[in-house]
Amino acid sequence: MMAIRELKVCLLGDTGVGKSSIVCRFVQDHFDHNISPTIGASFMTKTVPCGNELHKFLIWDTAGQERFHSLAPMYYRGSAAAVIVYDITKQDSFHTLKKWVKELKEHGPENIVMAIAGNKCDLSDIREVTMKDAREYAESISAIVVETSAKNAINVEELFQGISKQIPPLNSHENGNIGTIKLAKQTSQTSRRCC
Amino acid sequence: MDGPCCAERRGSFFKLIDTLASEIGELKQEMVETDLILKTESSSTGDPSLVKDMENMYLEKKDFKAFTRDSGYNSFSQKLSVLDKLLHTHPVWLQLSLSDEEAVNILQCQPPGSFLVRKAAKLQKKILSLRLPSESGSCLKEFAIKESSYTFSLEGSGISFADLFRLIAFYCISRDVLPFTLKLPHCIAVARTEGELEDIAQLGLNFWTVPANKIAANPACSRPLPPGGASPEPRLINGVQTLRTRTPSELECGPGKGALCFINPLFLQVHSQDGGENGGAELRRQGTAGWTRSPPPPRPPPPLLPSSPRPPAVSSKQGAASMPETTVAAESPGRKPVPVPPPRLKKQASVSSSPVDWDSRSHPASGAAASSGSESVLLNRGGGGRQQRLSDMSISTSSSDSLELERRVPLYCYEADSSFEDYESDPESMPPPLKPSKKRSSSFVLPKVVKAQLLKVSGVFTSLMTPERRMVRRIADMARDKRTYFGCLVQDYISFLLENKECHVSSTDMLQTIRQFMTQAKNYLAQSSELDPPIESLIPEDQIDTVLEKAMHKCILKPLKGHIEAVLKEFHATDGSWKQLRENLQLVRQRNPQELGVCAPTPDTLDLEKIKTRFLAMQKTYSPDKKVLLLLRVCKLIYTCMEHNSGRMYGADDFLPVLTYVMAQCDMLELDIEIEYMMELLDPLLLHGEGGYYLTSAYGALSLIKNFQEEQAARLLSSEARHTLRQWHKRRTTNRTVPSVDDFQNYLRVALQEAESGCTGKTLLVRPYTTTEDVCQICAEKFKVQDPENYGLFLFIDETWQQLTEDTYPQKIKAELHSRPQPQVFHFVYRHIRSEHPGIVFIHEDEDNDSSSDYLP
Repeated sequence: MMAIRELKVCLLGDTGVGKSSIVCRFVQDHFDHNISPTIGASFMTKTVPCGNELHKFLIWDTAGQERFHSLAPMYYRGSAAAVIVYDITKQDSFHTLKKWVKELKEHGPENIVMAIAGNKCDLSDIREVTMKDAREYAESISAIVVETSAKNAINVEELFQGISKQIPPLNSHENGNIGTIKLAKQTSQTSRRCC
Repeated sequence: MDGPCCAERRGSFFKLIDTLASEIGELKQEMVETDLILKTESSSTGDPSLVKDMENMYLEKKDFKAFTRDSGYNSFSQKLSVLDKLLHTHPVWLQLSLSDEEAVNILQCQPPGSFLVRKAAKLQKKILSLRLPSESGSCLKEFAIKESSYTFSLEGSGISFADLFRLIAFYCISRDVLPFTLKLPHCIAVARTEGELEDIAQLGLNFWTVPANKIAANPACSRPLPPGGASPEPRLINGVQTLRTRTPSELECGPGKGALCFINPLFLQVHSQDGGENGGAELRRQGTAGWTRSPPPPRPPPPLLPSSPRPPAVSSKQGAASMPETTVAAESPGRKPVPVPPPRLKKQASVSSSPVDWDSRSHPASGAAASSGSESVLLNRGGGGRQQRLSDMSISTSSSDSLELERRVPLYCYEADSSFEDYESDPESMPPPLKPSKKRSSSFVLPKVVKAQLLKVSGVFTSLMTPERRMVRRIADMARDKRTYFGCLVQDYISFLLENKECHVSSTDMLQTIRQFMTQAKNYLAQSSELDPPIESLIPEDQIDTVLEKAMHKCILKPLKGHIEAVLKEFHATDGSWKQLRENLQLVRQRNPQELGVCAPTPDTLDLEKIKTRFLAMQKTYSPDKKVLLLLRVCKLIYTCMEHNSGRMYGADDFLPVLTYVMAQCDMLELDIEIEYMMELLDPLLLHGEGGYYLTSAYGALSLIKNFQEEQAARLLSSEARHTLRQWHKRRTTNRTVPSVDDFQNYLRVALQEAESGCTGKTLLVRPYTTTEDVCQICAEKFKVQDPENYGLFLFIDETWQQLTEDTYPQKIKAELHSRPQPQVFHFVYRHIRSEHPGIVFIHEDEDNDSSSDYLP
């Protein structure tokens, strides 16, 4: 049996860029039984296999309006990953994205996996943000980047697969030689504590 | 026994009849069910043995009463089923930490069928190690035990059990997927009193190496036949025809010669005590609540039976040959007429039996059998301790109830269970032993059909809920029992909180310490051996934390709920935050939804009423989990209103404004307290899930309301609010790591001393390994000191100042000072390094345990 690992993922981005559409697409697209019935689209979960583990994404949507910005820390705290969404047809939303990245770097959890989603790629004829800009920016902050279309189900799955891959696997109990690893970790911790 | 007690007994008589009837009814059902299981499991093609076993149990039960009537000898208070034996002797066979080699070493000296339950290091699973007959290649075979939500089962078998004891008990009578049934060690199989079993249990692992066990290891076959000529039946498979009743005089006495009670030692109730022992056992039981072990009371010295090969390790008290002994025996023609009561209602079927105790001492000549309807035979003793204990021991699952014929499960068990996790309906303390009127009326009022329907459902709930509830109840009882370490811990903490209202600087400070205490107490329980039997044997491992958390709510939050609310209110009244909230609620309510950024349909008046009702219900419960559940229902309702059959999916962009609007419309100041309570006390593990999400949203919505005026001005939350949120985030994130014992006393009260303004005190969170340097930094921040380089942390003690060096640990210093035999007044003071202070002016107040003093300018 595979171990289920719960991963909190927060969704950030301007209002109207399609944050929740991406999640709805991701969660509901595939007919599988791992979808737990939820109260509403602002919190959704989906379990996907990844290597030896099962990753259960607990996806926290945030309100994108400026006036709710101050609440964001509560939503992204403890997140293993953040999906930051912008709208390729709106340059402003890309600016907002940069602000989010900055905030996450400063106040977000350490080692948070960042994934940038340029949504609405089905509307590329009216695009304002080029793929190149997005890719360069993502590289500079070592984030995953994909252009998605929640509407046409493009790259949504890949976005989350990318996140899954970036999550470091647990030192699972099944490996017989956990003893040494654990011990080493403990000593390093205690020594840090003492000094 | 005195008057009230008798009255109680009388009152309980009908219930007893009821129960007997229902038990037999249940047994019948079980027989059918088991039969089905066996057939479908195909493990035994047409093997009727189990069914027969069940029949025998059933017959035996009738006979049991019949025998009473017949002989007039009815010391029935001790009936040890195989389950009892397993429960008492788990220190022997339940060896979770045993290694593979050790298990082999132990079992290879034992007869086939011997078993151990342990935890395989490799699999990280519990396994059943079974000794095979020598002729089969290997000496051991191991069977993994599967644990899924609230059930235990052997891998490959379709039969699941509520706990490990039931599982083992079942496999003692039916092999199912095993090559043969499990065998209890001889000593345990023949033990007839709890005392004997406890003596065995005391040996623990040593039991297996005690020579007595090895001598007795070859059971039945090597024993001399009793003079009566009856050959002992190891199993009851063919028992119906061969068994016959014997009068006490026919019987051989003494544990080694056991024609007695040995017909089926595995699960049949054995009852063979003399009054004296009975009393002893009784005393012991009444003296102990729950599972605390107390030293066994003095017992009469065991009479010596020179020739009887008695295992020395087990102090047997049955030796006296003159003592009449009874045996359980099936089918005796003369006893047949005992009427078979109608199948019982399922309601009772869900409880395996009633809280009935068979006490014969005060009614030695109980002539009439249960069925005859005389009150005199069947008594209820209702001793609180005993009831509790027994209720602790017995739970019911449909698959294994039949293992215990005379279990005494108090009825509240059912009542509480069927209320579907309703915390508030829990009996406050140890419930009265019986609630006859309630039960009876309920079983007579409902029409049969309806009842059957209800009971089907309740049966499902009971079998699912019981192990958990039982554990929670046991922990709650332990928490009230100051003779246990855990009880002391909890009671002391609760009374400390109640008596020291002033010991917390803020509402979050208080809630946070309570949360820490709960986490700590949980860790203690998970690791200590105070829970007996160990929690792992009753609760599947992935559920242990949940169960412990629930228990903490019950034993800590329940008694503190009122206090917590009062203190929270006080804090908010004092700091003016409620006044502000009230004003802002007013303001926000005057806005229309669009002004609040709402772009989705909002709940109408009727829905708002419903929501309010749920919020009110939320205020009544003490459990943060349950509160969150109610909050989720509110959110679901809001979502339903928003979606309004449109099929549109609304994300947080739309939901949060609507939630804000709804919370303002509800106009309940108390919501503030509720949310704070949940935010701080909810199990950190739940904070990432759906409950955590919507709780966060509710908190966010409320902060928006609280800061509405400022927001109007700045369109942004004040920096202060942001700061608070970040603090909360930090705190709750750190809480997620398991706190250590040190966390209990993580506060340090530090005073700032300024030449012009005197002293101001603040309580800081200072961990044991926080250095003075760090504390200085915290102080500079907290006291808003402009030139921190000129300030230092001082210890003021005995009218002298000592500046603490940067690498010292203030908490350690505090701990050391506290541990001095002569308590001294001391203060940690943050002050200017060079300024001259002859001393500080302070007024002594009641010193609470934590902050050493209070300061005044």
